[in-house]
Amino acid sequence: MAVEPQSPYDLEIRNVSKRFGAATAVDDVSFKVGRGEFVAVMGPSGCGKTTLLRMMAGLEGMSAGRIYIRGRDVSAVPVNLRSTRLVWQNYALFPHLDVFGNIAFGLTLQPYDRPVVSGKVKRMAALVGLTEFLDRRVGQLSGGQKQRVGIARALVTEPEILLLDEPLSALDAHLRLRMQGELRRIQQQLGISFVYVTHNQIEAFSMADRVVVMNKGKIEQIDPPEIIYNFPKTRFVASFVGANNLFEGSVLSHDGAFTTVETREGRLSVLAGDTRPAIGEAVTVVVQADKLTRQPKGILGENTLKATLRGREYAGSQNIYLLDLPTGAEVKLVAQESMAVASRTALNAEVAVHFPAEAATIIGYHRRPPEAVADISEAAE
Amino acid sequence: MTMAAANTIIDIEPAARMRTPNDSPLKIICLAPTLVWFGALFAVPLIALLWAGFWRVENYQTIITFSLENYEQVAANFFAKSRYGLALVQTFWVAITGGIFAVAFAYAVALAIVYAVPQRWQRLALLFAIAPFWSSYILRVYAWQTVLSKNGVVNSFLKMTGLDWARLDVIFTQTATRIGLVHYLAPILIVILYVTLTNIDRAVIEAARDLGSTRWQVFKKIILPLSGFGLTVAGSFAVIIGMGDALCGALLGGGAGQSIIGKVPLFASMLISDYASATNLPRTAALATILVLAMLLVMWASFAIGERVRKATAE
Repeated sequence: MAVEPQSPYDLEIRNVSKRFGAATAVDDVSFKVGRGEFVAVMGPSGCGKTTLLRMMAGLEGMSAGRIYIRGRDVSAVPVNLRSTRLVWQNYALFPHLDVFGNIAFGLTLQPYDRPVVSGKVKRMAALVGLTEFLDRRVGQLSGGQKQRVGIARALVTEPEILLLDEPLSALDAHLRLRMQGELRRIQQQLGISFVYVTHNQIEAFSMADRVVVMNKGKIEQIDPPEIIYNFPKTRFVASFVGANNLFEGSVLSHDGAFTTVETREGRLSVLAGDTRPAIGEAVTVVVQADKLTRQPKGILGENTLKATLRGREYAGSQNIYLLDLPTGAEVKLVAQESMAVASRTALNAEVAVHFPAEAATIIGYHRRPPEAVADISEAAE
Repeated sequence: MTMAAANTIIDIEPAARMRTPNDSPLKIICLAPTLVWFGALFAVPLIALLWAGFWRVENYQTIITFSLENYEQVAANFFAKSRYGLALVQTFWVAITGGIFAVAFAYAVALAIVYAVPQRWQRLALLFAIAPFWSSYILRVYAWQTVLSKNGVVNSFLKMTGLDWARLDVIFTQTATRIGLVHYLAPILIVILYVTLTNIDRAVIEAARDLGSTRWQVFKKIILPLSGFGLTVAGSFAVIIGMGDALCGALLGGGAGQSIIGKVPLFASMLISDYASATNLPRTAALATILVLAMLLVMWASFAIGERVRKATAE
């Protein structure tokens, strides 16, 4: 039993802000990272995610707020004394040292025992798959190998939290996919919390336990990936994440389990959430691109809209259609079908698109699966 | 693919490549001024110097010939009455020690500019640091004479403040020569080292900090090794310039200034007096050739060291 009071959280960010002159990069951000949790911080470039990460590492000072690591206030602890380690987008390896020297670097700053360091470096190299490369120069490595060195160099010092700043964005698509799997494996094997900054939702969704979506220095939503994807909390999240179609309108009526929203594109029927918006309230209806289907022309039933096909993209097993509505709004439709099917519809042809009421949600008024509720109350705490 | 198709590709490729701008007559026109400049101001005088070293003087008449007499004479007197050898040792000693001081000083200034001055003031700070570069070298050396001389600025000030016991006694010693050299070299070396330091990736420095390094460890383990090539370049530059410089040795070193080696003039100062006596110009040329060879030796050595350092610190 530990004597000091143990916090159930590896990391706690409390009301942290960062201002650069008149600009606010991070605006009153708070969240917690549980023990051994993999949290992705996602947002467009300039949303403050990297600044937030640098503040966690101690590379950047805070304008306001506090940061706790396992219950200890580290707000005033300088970068070299923090138990966080950073993995860099462009690797930031030491060019004058070989792979062994790079990985061993953090262990050689205090008086050390050579065989102990060598053993740790070799074990870590084995974990990230670099055993045969220990005597290589950094310049002789590929991008993927360089980033493995970056990860090994950080992990060998046994940090309490690993911070990753877009670590895979300089790698090609295939390698990125492989590294995603490996990062997740390493994280689970070591049981260390990862805070992973990215602008790439595929990376965030495929690795993270929870995703923090940031915009303009503020947090928009903190939830597990499937909740973020299916139930975006704000308009920003809905437009940034996934391939969502958004319809603005006002609530017309509630009818049993369904809510009718009057939009410029027509009346849309939506399966109501746990709470309901007031009649007349301005709302946004979200329909994911893969929930839209094409309909035979002429039958314009519920949630069916006339549209003109403007573009097609073939992505292997699925086709992506871009369509214009009569109002000028653009909608995206994703269908799991062969390429041959797509060419049957000519460009600029009139079509109709449909979605079931169950597939649409109103932003802010979601149905939630029961297990997600606990997560939300914890994050909001 | 058929043979014919393969041939066409091979046929077309070189033809298309032949007419790159590199092969145009424009290139020769553009390079001509450089060649003329290099030839007239460097190659021709150097060849003339080397050639003149083999001439002879008989009855105050220069005879254009090919004779090793000058070199034989110099070799015979190398450690004897003219002390050419000692002068060469003095030159190496003053140039190397002066170079070390100059590089150390310039490195400290460059470090301060790059790591202590806020980003937006860095260029201005650099401009101030290299400002002396735009004043006349001769003026600067005379100014140092005024500062360092027996009743100069420093000593007068010390006398006024009652610190007479601390008075400087460096004028007309090789220490004064080195002070002049450091001041002369500093701006150039600061620029070389500034460029070296700004080329070190900030993320690498932050990574070292993040892994637990103190500021001193960052300097020792990252910045210093990654400055290795720049320091070698700056060092060889300082030594080579220092070896060729005659002005500091004459005006601050007093011709034959005192150093650990003794009251021995620099080789360049000796050349000047040899030239001034003007009885045997070919012999002066021979002496100058010896200095040029010594400089080439230093250049070769520093190139060899520089390459090793570069290979050891590049990715």
